[in-house]
Amino acid sequence: MNDAAIDDVSLKEKYPPGDLAIWVFIYAEFLAFGIFFLAYAFARSYNVELFNASQLHLDKRAGALNTLILITGSYFVVRAVAAIRVNQSRACVNWLLAAIFSGGLFLIVKIFEFHGEYVQGYSLSSNLFYTFYFSMTVFHFMHVILGMVILTAVMFKARRGGYSAEDHRGVETGASYWHMVDMVWIILFPLVYVIH
Amino acid sequence: MQYQSQAVAKPYFIAALAMFAGQIIFGLIMGLQYVIGDFLFPEIPFNVARMVHTNLLIVWLLFGFMGAAYYLVPEESETELFSPKLAMALFWIFLVAGVLTIVGYLAVPYATLAKITGNDILPTMGREFLEQPTITKIGIVIVALGFLFNILMTVLKGRKTVITSVLLIGLGGLAVFFLFSFYNPDNLVLDKYFWWWTVHLWVEGVWELILGSILAFVLIKVTGVDREVIEKWLYVIIAMTLITGIIGTGHHYFWIGTPEYWQVLGSIFSALEPIPFFMMAVFAFNMVNRRRREHPNKVATLWALGTAVMSFLGAGVWGFMHTLAPVNYYTHGTQLTAAHAHMAFYGAYVMIVLCMISYAMPMMRGRAANSAKAQVVEMWGFWLMTISIVLITLFLTGAGILQVYMQRMGDAPMSFMVVQDKITLFYWLREAAGVVFLIGLITYFASFFVGGDEAASA
Amino acid sequence: MSENFTKSMARNMFYGGAVFFFLLFVGLTFDTMRELPKRDHRENITPEVAQGKLLWEENDCIGCHTLLGEGAYFAPELGNVYTRFGKNKQAIMAFIKSRPVDGIEGRRSMPQFNFSDEQLNDIAEFLKWTSEINSAGWPPNIQG
Repeated sequence: MNDAAIDDVSLKEKYPPGDLAIWVFIYAEFLAFGIFFLAYAFARSYNVELFNASQLHLDKRAGALNTLILITGSYFVVRAVAAIRVNQSRACVNWLLAAIFSGGLFLIVKIFEFHGEYVQGYSLSSNLFYTFYFSMTVFHFMHVILGMVILTAVMFKARRGGYSAEDHRGVETGASYWHMVDMVWIILFPLVYVIH
Repeated sequence: MQYQSQAVAKPYFIAALAMFAGQIIFGLIMGLQYVIGDFLFPEIPFNVARMVHTNLLIVWLLFGFMGAAYYLVPEESETELFSPKLAMALFWIFLVAGVLTIVGYLAVPYATLAKITGNDILPTMGREFLEQPTITKIGIVIVALGFLFNILMTVLKGRKTVITSVLLIGLGGLAVFFLFSFYNPDNLVLDKYFWWWTVHLWVEGVWELILGSILAFVLIKVTGVDREVIEKWLYVIIAMTLITGIIGTGHHYFWIGTPEYWQVLGSIFSALEPIPFFMMAVFAFNMVNRRRREHPNKVATLWALGTAVMSFLGAGVWGFMHTLAPVNYYTHGTQLTAAHAHMAFYGAYVMIVLCMISYAMPMMRGRAANSAKAQVVEMWGFWLMTISIVLITLFLTGAGILQVYMQRMGDAPMSFMVVQDKITLFYWLREAAGVVFLIGLITYFASFFVGGDEAASA
Repeated sequence: MSENFTKSMARNMFYGGAVFFFLLFVGLTFDTMRELPKRDHRENITPEVAQGKLLWEENDCIGCHTLLGEGAYFAPELGNVYTRFGKNKQAIMAFIKSRPVDGIEGRRSMPQFNFSDEQLNDIAEFLKWTSEINSAGWPPNIQG
């Protein structure tokens, strides 16, 4: 009871969670992706038919699968933060490992998808749609890798017992970044794969 | 001046300023050739005047950066320079090579210069801004390496600060990316693609690191704000510079035969390029407002604020204006590019070097700041040159918009030369503004000789 | 900026960002290099074209003209000059050859370079090859 009350107060005091630097970074990322999405919408409005026709060649099932994988990954980092808040370093490490694993799974699915497109002869310069598709997904792909690197760094520190219920800003920072990567995909997937 | 060896910066600054004067004179000659086409023809054709104008700019900025580094690094590292002798030797080598190259441009036809210097063996000449004979380019590399070695050894034996490491990364990048100037394949598209690795990654990449570190140094000195705060800002600004600027190179890959996806990538990332410049302006004003001391050198602070504002306007705003591919389709290679280039170079690089000179020169002449009278004269120079560059930019922008409208749009576009005749008025106005710049420059030079009984009080 | 935002965070952002985007740039460069042969028609770069490019450089043509929009803005764009001159190499050669030694009273004029006929042909071949580069539909019209 008492614990929960204290938690609430500290939560209010520490908004946004995690380090401010990561939030500056996250806003910059949203800005960059936001401009990408806007430019996509703009370009699409001039080439609706081309975009619709090209969209049909994307592998929607792989995209949907990856959406599920990323959302699951986000759930894992939520559990990791919850675990460290009650001082369970061990559990925190395990949840982080699960999140990193789901990131890896995303990369594998995406690589298969890229490979399929490559074999069919699609590339960045096939047409305007593919320019956007590959720019945005590769850019996001690299962000997943970066997110995994951040989570790995956090995981190692957690394993050394570097975080506690009192001080776990690093875990929150990593989790925030991971959620951002997830959220960008959640916008990207319907925008590029589905919306017709 | 805390360390004796900082004094080697002085000849570098003097050489830089002398070449600056030369640059402006040749700028005025070109400006006149725009309206009186046969002025000095065939003795100094336009391309020769332009080469002298742009090459002097590059070389004097390099002198300025080196001088700034020689002044700043010992103070930051809290130790004497590794080798003042090497610094002086490189100064003379660079000066002689630079002067010989300029004399070569003016004394003989360019083709003859190419023949004399053996351009056929390793052809690198005749590309915009990289017109220097191959042997001069090799000289630049040698000077740059010697300079880097000297700075690096100084940093290694002394205190390491963020300012010196950012400066070193910037200067190292400058040397590395210059190496692409030796790559000149027969295929024009490849040539252009990697030409930008020198040109763009210099001025919209590593040079901004040099700019940032010099600005941070001067701000620490004149405002007394905590180093931690300033260094944090420096990191964020240059991080944004590289995050936006590297892929931002794509805004040069719209129409030179490169794949069309660069139109998307170049537009998006270069649209973000004003952000670091905006942050720099916010940063400079913020630090000056939070100052903990009143430094007697008011005019150095003015230059620091000036460079932050003018680089945001010139590089940020005027760059953004024509960076999106659908706009650039019409504006590419017109007077709008020239307008942007003038304000951006002045705002970002000319002003930062003058800022450093303004701060360091009085120190090297044995006082914290010049007399109040001399500072007022220098401020006149600041305002005359700055207002003049704003006017030059506006007139060229006017010329550019009309050029785009008449030559690139509509059903009956007119030919280049016809359009040029129609916008002569703007070129005359630009030339007049250029004369004001020269007056500003003379005023600025005069401020070095204005006496005054004592240094302005602290 | 808040106390939270430490210098080491900013530093990591700088080094991480720089490396990340430089690698991305290198990757895109590899892709561009793969795509270029389809757009620059390098199979048509004959010894004449190569020689023409060298002449272009050794006379600093870029100091007055633009080529694919890059260069000086004192004289006309030459990326499409071959098309503008009616795909006529002779016309280009004749134009360069006929420039007066002392210029034109009060007007801009191209210098007389005293090229041999072979050199003129090389330059024209270079400009012809350049006009065939796929420059994404630029310039907007024939005037360049």
